[in-house]
Amino acid sequence: MSGGKKPSGEGVNAKKYSRRDFLVTGGTVVAVDALMTNNLAAAAVVPAAAAAPAPTSYPVSKGYLVYDSKKCAGCTTCMLACSLTHHGVESLSLARIQIMQDSFGKFPNDLKVAPCRQCVTPVCVQNCPAGAAFVDAANGNIRRIDSNKCVGCRTCIRMCPQQPHRTVWNKFAKRAQKCDLCIDTPYWNEKGGPGGKQACVETCPMKALRFVSEAPDQKETDGYDVNLRNDNWLNLGLVDDSRIVPPIMAAQAKKKPARRSAR
Amino acid sequence: MKGGYTGKILRVNLTSKSISRIETEKYMEFGGGHGIGSAIFFDLVAEQLPFDAFDPRNLIIIVASPFAGTMMPGSGRCEVQGLGPMLYPIEWFGHSNFGGRFTAQLKFAGWDGIVVEGSSSDPVWINIIDDKVTIESARGIWGMDTWDTQQEISRRVIPGLKYGEWSELAGDDGFTTQIPAVVCCGPAGEKKSRLGALLHGPGSQAALCGFGGVFGSKNLKAISAIGSGTVPIADPKAFMEARLWYRQFQWDVDNPREVERFNTRAWSHNSGRPSGGNTLNGQLPLVPARVAACASCPRACRLRLATADSNESVCAGTMAVRLERGAPLKLSRQANDLMQKYGLGHWQFMPLQVYVQNLYKRGILGKGKKIESNLPFELMGTIAYVDTLMKQISNREGVGNDLAEGCARFAEKYGLYEEDVNSGVLNLAYWGTRDHYDPRIQVEWAFGSLFGERDLMLHSFANHNFHWMANSGDPYLTAEEAARLYSEALVPYNDDPYLADFGDGPTGIYSDSKVKLIAWVKHYEKFWIGGGGFCGWRWPQTFTNNTADRRGATPHAEQRFWNAVTGDNRTFVDHMSVGHRIYTLDRSIWVLQGRHRDMEVFPDYIYDRKSPGHIMPMIVDGKWTYARGEGRTLDRAKVEDFKTRFYKFEGYNPDNGYPTRATLEKMGLKKVADLLQKRGRLG
Repeated sequence: MSGGKKPSGEGVNAKKYSRRDFLVTGGTVVAVDALMTNNLAAAAVVPAAAAAPAPTSYPVSKGYLVYDSKKCAGCTTCMLACSLTHHGVESLSLARIQIMQDSFGKFPNDLKVAPCRQCVTPVCVQNCPAGAAFVDAANGNIRRIDSNKCVGCRTCIRMCPQQPHRTVWNKFAKRAQKCDLCIDTPYWNEKGGPGGKQACVETCPMKALRFVSEAPDQKETDGYDVNLRNDNWLNLGLVDDSRIVPPIMAAQAKKKPARRSAR
Repeated sequence: MKGGYTGKILRVNLTSKSISRIETEKYMEFGGGHGIGSAIFFDLVAEQLPFDAFDPRNLIIIVASPFAGTMMPGSGRCEVQGLGPMLYPIEWFGHSNFGGRFTAQLKFAGWDGIVVEGSSSDPVWINIIDDKVTIESARGIWGMDTWDTQQEISRRVIPGLKYGEWSELAGDDGFTTQIPAVVCCGPAGEKKSRLGALLHGPGSQAALCGFGGVFGSKNLKAISAIGSGTVPIADPKAFMEARLWYRQFQWDVDNPREVERFNTRAWSHNSGRPSGGNTLNGQLPLVPARVAACASCPRACRLRLATADSNESVCAGTMAVRLERGAPLKLSRQANDLMQKYGLGHWQFMPLQVYVQNLYKRGILGKGKKIESNLPFELMGTIAYVDTLMKQISNREGVGNDLAEGCARFAEKYGLYEEDVNSGVLNLAYWGTRDHYDPRIQVEWAFGSLFGERDLMLHSFANHNFHWMANSGDPYLTAEEAARLYSEALVPYNDDPYLADFGDGPTGIYSDSKVKLIAWVKHYEKFWIGGGGFCGWRWPQTFTNNTADRRGATPHAEQRFWNAVTGDNRTFVDHMSVGHRIYTLDRSIWVLQGRHRDMEVFPDYIYDRKSPGHIMPMIVDGKWTYARGEGRTLDRAKVEDFKTRFYKFEGYNPDNGYPTRATLEKMGLKKVADLLQKRGRLG
């Protein structure tokens, strides 16, 4: 097998969280990534929820999306399935998972996959001044945004420590939204959430997305980026290390020269 | 707005620098893409025909399909139309298309298409950011290669653009993480080379017809589109269900069927498996790479490499520029990338490079020869040689000025056309484009091109599925099984069991069965391929190794997806009749330009030179088999008789190939009939 990490079937200490995720200091929350990049707009210091001190720990989500950024082909079907099932329209900007590509770039840095991490410590929930972002105890503790409560202040967008931010601005509704693991998909006759199906996972033709019930490593910045490739993938001639010889090529090399290619 | 459409088509006049819109609804009866483009071309300029491709009256028409911007599998291609300067002997109203994500972004910006007319007095590019459209100066960009152009324009569209972050678009509260989608010409197009292609991304070419040269003639460097909007879907639930249903027709990347048989590189073309489009990373040690799909494509035939060379180039885009035998693949990737950067069409450059070498070896071209040239032939087969050749063509330097006219016109200028084309030395089988698969055997391609305006360039009608399956040496269907499944898929001719007989017997290449096959090819090409943004490597899917019963998605998938997206309730046959209508409209435009049945003939070599053979399904001695047909030539009289029957089948006058009034009026094209009659060319 080529490099990368297998999706963990092991539980992760649910109470752990990373300093990289956020810092809480005297009632204010500052996105560390933003500070590190000197992005003043993103690093704006925002008052935390005024009504009550934000809790510092939350029940962990019972569902997460992990992905293989080296397997993703960038077709954006996942994004379109997301917007279709949630909104009934096709839109990349409304998708709660983002695939970004630089066609001129070098593999593997030519593509980035950015789903919501269902953070063990959800900064969006912690900082929503309207109480719209919440942990949905009735649905596996998924971190969600109640669009009826959202006031469109974009605090959750500014505070999301990920780059790009995983809370998504809906310019039509003037509200923020985020991945709900397909709990609320009015345009799809499938049950979502833990135990259900996710539109992005189901439609990904490369099977580069997977639902897991255990929290990926929160310390690693790429803890959600896992290896979902097997030998059948290698046999497509797709390796992430030049030293790897796909089994089928090794076998063919012993038999005969490769047949000429089609035009 | 009706599902699949944004409702408006952008109209840009570069002469007056004015921007207006066309209501899409007026043209929806033609479906999308190609059909709408043909109808717009007819309405705007048909009365003024004939005129030249580089005349400001020529149009660049890009119309997206209702599927663009949706997750319809394999619908990511962008159709470009207009008079094609590459085509010969007349610059026919032609079409070319490229993959990627341009039409998706155009739709998200709120536009179903764009029509460019006129010619700018100074170099410009068109900037589409959602519903904001501006004509921008190309100062500082004009002269750049296609790669630098796209990256510079991306920076100008979104100042401070950071890959991997959200960007706000022009203050409309819309955000995107996507990089602007740019289509542009290169230096070749700027100099009005007839080989000029359009490039999108590093390797996605609209290679045929020479539309890069038309961009250059309009002083148009590029069009950029980026949007944060939506594409409406009539029945989202049905669309989602259709997409999930379609998974059975895809290659299962984790657990492919019959892995011992199919999971080899020899199967890459007919199995629909990922990768396989880039021929330049197949030797050990492999360069680390990802498969890179066009928008919404489950196949993902392209690659992006750790070295970033040959990124997103496929097929001819990775083999047009040829170095000496045994040259390292790395150099071949770089050589083909040079072609992409200059913006030279691969299907034009490929025969040109060969022909130049042929003329040199014959002592016709070179220093002090009949055709004077300072090309460094002593370096032939090296990067330095091909770079010099491409540079001279792109800059119109030396012999490059004549070569930029394309093979046909170049040969004609020096009095070589008749001899070299008829002998097959210069294998321009139809309309100035080189042959592709043996025209004497694989006739759906040959007749499909001859009754069109350029090389058919569609692999899924009978090429990947039949030829490459058989050529693998281990076909997963017998010829009889494959022919049966094929006929069953080709509705409405599914009661004809001989559609796939490529023999030369009574049900073979001259039979009425082939008349129906060619009609099916042209109608599907017009409505689904050109109108649906379909990829010719994906559609139609007549049979497949990916299903247990080997049945493909055609014809059920097309109508199911169409109806879910648009809200129509139409059958596959309904749409094929629209395809017939669009083909007839295209043909009428060609007739206005001078098309006559006497022009629809192959060069002599196809009638006189024996085929080396090309494996296809055939009935031989009464039995289905895969055979090569070695030694076959086409028979002139039989081809002429075939033409007569094809014209009659399509409703055209067999004496001249012109559409008749009865046919046109039946199709609701009375105004077309009136114009043809006015010109004395009604069939």
